[in-house]
Amino acid sequence: MEQNLHKLFKPSSDNKESKLSSDIWNVIESKTTHMTKQKTLFYLSIGAMSLVGTIFSVKSLIEEFLRLGFFNYLSLIFSDIGVITTYWREYTLTLMDSLPVTSLIILFSLLFILFISIRRVSYKFRRKFSII
Amino acid sequence: MEKSDEKLVEEYLDGEESSFKILLDRYTSHIYNFSKRFVGVEYANDIVQEVFIKIWKNIENFNVKKANFKTWIFTIARNTITDYLRKKKMVSFSSLDKEDETFADNIEDEVVLPNEALMKLEDKEFLNNLLDKIPAHYKEVLILYYQEEMTFSEIGKLLEKPLNTVKSYHHRALVLLRDMVHHN
Repeated sequence: MEQNLHKLFKPSSDNKESKLSSDIWNVIESKTTHMTKQKTLFYLSIGAMSLVGTIFSVKSLIEEFLRLGFFNYLSLIFSDIGVITTYWREYTLTLMDSLPVTSLIILFSLLFILFISIRRVSYKFRRKFSII
Repeated sequence: MEKSDEKLVEEYLDGEESSFKILLDRYTSHIYNFSKRFVGVEYANDIVQEVFIKIWKNIENFNVKKANFKTWIFTIARNTITDYLRKKKMVSFSSLDKEDETFADNIEDEVVLPNEALMKLEDKEFLNNLLDKIPAHYKEVLILYYQEEMTFSEIGKLLEKPLNTVKSYHHRALVLLRDMVHHN
């Protein structure tokens, strides 16, 4: 009985499935292309914005370093190493105090976003060219 | 040797686009024939397309530990058909799942459909008409078991029902078919 029922339930093909498969594939391909374009555009804009931000952030970081006298404290290493080794704890604290922490955090965040964007865009391009 | 569904999914997720095409070619006719039984030929195409778009969008969520690929895509197909039937305000699978589910028949299925009944069912149109008259969840079990050649265990996972319930549905469906053949 079991085998007979399997035979009875075997669907009669109306030949629509073969065309259907390629139609669906075309829809998926066009959706993939559209999505890839959108994502690439998104990451390109994010990348461009973070690049501009990085440039400004580097400029402001240098200004901050100069304002807080970081380079002056740093140059002491080359001028008077004896004093530095004697008072190395105080020197380290002063040097750390003259670091523009906020600007550094902003710069590293922007560099991280830029790196992620470049990675994503290059991945999309690699996939696109591997399909072609 | 033919690659397994799970291997193809893995390859697709690793960037091999053509693996999805193989899966699509492999399952289009299955999903089409399954959908056709519930929504008719005219809407089966739309259902199949919707099912594969959903699969494509959610393939990253496929978990081989939870279910095999075939069970997973049939679950998506079932949900899509249910949504469609609900929109059309037709009877859905789930609305018919309320009856006693703990009953497990112990009668051998072999005696349920005698040869004369089977001979009558050879008329495909007659069989299709009878299938349209039995409750949707019974019909579903018969189609998944005989047409899609799934095991009771796979059907249980798909319908989220215990194994005994599925066997019970199967048995009751055959009894119903037999009674309907007699009445015709």
